[in-house]
Amino acid sequence: MQNIFSEALLATTINLSTPIIIAVFAGLISERSGVINLALEGMMLAGACAAALGSYFTGNPYIGLMASIAIGMLMALAHAYATITWRGDQIISGLALIVASVGGTGFILQLIFKHGGNTPDVTTLPRIIIPFLQNIPVLGVLINKQTILVYFAYLLPVLMYLFLYKTPLGMRIRACGEDPRTADTLGINVYLTRYVAVLISGALAGLSGAYLSIVQLSKFQENMSAGRGWIAIAALILGKWRPWSVFLAALFFGFTDAIQLTMQVVFPDSKLPREIFLSLPYILTILVLAGFVGKAIGPAAGGKPYEKEQL
Amino acid sequence: MHKDMAKSSFSLRDWLETTPIIVPVIAVILAFAFGALFILATGHNPIQAYVLFIRGAFGNTFNLMETITKSIPLTIAGLAFLFAYRCGVFNIGTEGQLLIGAIAAALVGFLIKLPPVIHQIVLILTGAVFGALYAGIAGWLKAYRGVNEILSTLMLNYPAIYLTHFLVVKVFKAPGVVPATPLINKSAELPVIIPDTRLHAGIFIVIGLIFLVDFILRKTVLGYEIRAVGFNPTAAAYSGISIRKNVIIAIMISGALAGIAGSVEVMGLHHRFFDQFSPGYGFDGISVSLVALLNPFATFFSALFFGAMRTGSTEMQIFLEIPRQLMTLYQGIILFFIAGQLIFITFIRKIIRKRKE
Repeated sequence: MQNIFSEALLATTINLSTPIIIAVFAGLISERSGVINLALEGMMLAGACAAALGSYFTGNPYIGLMASIAIGMLMALAHAYATITWRGDQIISGLALIVASVGGTGFILQLIFKHGGNTPDVTTLPRIIIPFLQNIPVLGVLINKQTILVYFAYLLPVLMYLFLYKTPLGMRIRACGEDPRTADTLGINVYLTRYVAVLISGALAGLSGAYLSIVQLSKFQENMSAGRGWIAIAALILGKWRPWSVFLAALFFGFTDAIQLTMQVVFPDSKLPREIFLSLPYILTILVLAGFVGKAIGPAAGGKPYEKEQL
Repeated sequence: MHKDMAKSSFSLRDWLETTPIIVPVIAVILAFAFGALFILATGHNPIQAYVLFIRGAFGNTFNLMETITKSIPLTIAGLAFLFAYRCGVFNIGTEGQLLIGAIAAALVGFLIKLPPVIHQIVLILTGAVFGALYAGIAGWLKAYRGVNEILSTLMLNYPAIYLTHFLVVKVFKAPGVVPATPLINKSAELPVIIPDTRLHAGIFIVIGLIFLVDFILRKTVLGYEIRAVGFNPTAAAYSGISIRKNVIIAIMISGALAGIAGSVEVMGLHHRFFDQFSPGYGFDGISVSLVALLNPFATFFSALFFGAMRTGSTEMQIFLEIPRQLMTLYQGIILFFIAGQLIFITFIRKIIRKRKE
């Protein structure tokens, strides 16, 4: 039997956890402001599609990256408009955006390429070579020659911690998620603050989708997000809405996914059906939630629309 | 735990039930209006496309019956989502429960020999039991482990897809190119009721289930308790109603309905289970019941509309090469406007007020 735990497993973990890490922070910032963003899955899917198309038409993957941010923010704007401005149901709006993204990406694919399934190969994000890291064992292999998105993902917990806990805007976002009425009394513009948080959320979710199509693969496939947005939400609950914990939770889900993938290689289909391994991440997510939750309490004002008192 | 449940059931469910019927109607109109832009992008005339759409959905007896046939699983899946939602539980795992129910029914259909009627009843019950048990996992996890049911029901869709795929491709595959189970025995089939169409007796089961769901929810103690928990879990708990029990029962009945949707589809239409059996009927059930504003009777008409979207879009694709995925996009837009209904309701109210002045 081959050794499952190897350098390759760590490399796979990094590769698979990156989109979940970015997505979990997309969920974190929105929920900390009091707006549940169930649409992560849909924003990832749309982001993946936009990134692939951007890269396909310009040959420049960074344009693809911009496109994924743009579509994520556009969907976030719709979510914010319906749920913040018009106090709509955050859960239904989130599901609506997921459905719309499945239909929208399928439609565009069919329209442009005259067939469903996937786009042709597109230019992927370049890998960055850091010279002095090249000779260090293990770490050199893991950290070197990654794309900009991986570095960004692993910096995110630091950035997000500093942003949410050390900057005025970050503190305002958290205040709006815990007690919008008081925040309002203190002169914070609750609507505006929530809009900012949701838009950042959309940008991040779009980016995490881009990782799927222009780093992990070099094309967009229909429904390629395959539940990762939901796994990110599970990681958010598991990490109890705190930057460092959600990061670790996302890493954990990336790790289990990597194990699953490695096992598929170790045990060929003839011995153990691969459907078992394919189901594993989802079953494990449920088991982990079942083992840990009960104590998980999200932001107090999460899910509740805020209505300014009329004088 | 109570706090968590109170929070997750904070939804505008109650508000949905009191929403005027004009809301989904306007949401649909808005979706078709916005969608016209996408049709323009394909280089076609939206009016011409919509004429084809209507012709495809209702234009002749066959198409009309096809629309009704598609509304059968859609109605039952819609009732499934509705039932759990009345208890404040979001069951978005209807797709997985439908698949589990369908394959269980298909297996019982060809493995066991029974006289007609009995065989049919057994198949429906099989679908119900397996759907209920599968949904029960999420119910138990929510009631006893505090696991958010939106996540657990959604996650459980994937193992169901993989499990049924595995069973049909590697275990029960009938000889032939297509990965499908053998045909069920004739005794288990639901007959076609209008010759030369595919409309089958499942439509009577639909009608029965609509009345049954309405009856349970409005006239029984169980239904009263389920609605009480959905309306205000804390108050329900104070008056001695068990939240846990009702959450589990509601989601299991919901799963049973989804499973029946699967078994009826096997018995009436395909007479077997095959790989990628459901074209998203379970997922569509969510939209169906939300557009119906959680009313069991309206669910049927909502399902007819979603059935029409499927048949109508096929016509648009054949004649104008407009990708049928457009309808999924429409569905998203409709849901979006139901969620954010104040966007246009406020506007309408303003107009009415101005008129009065």
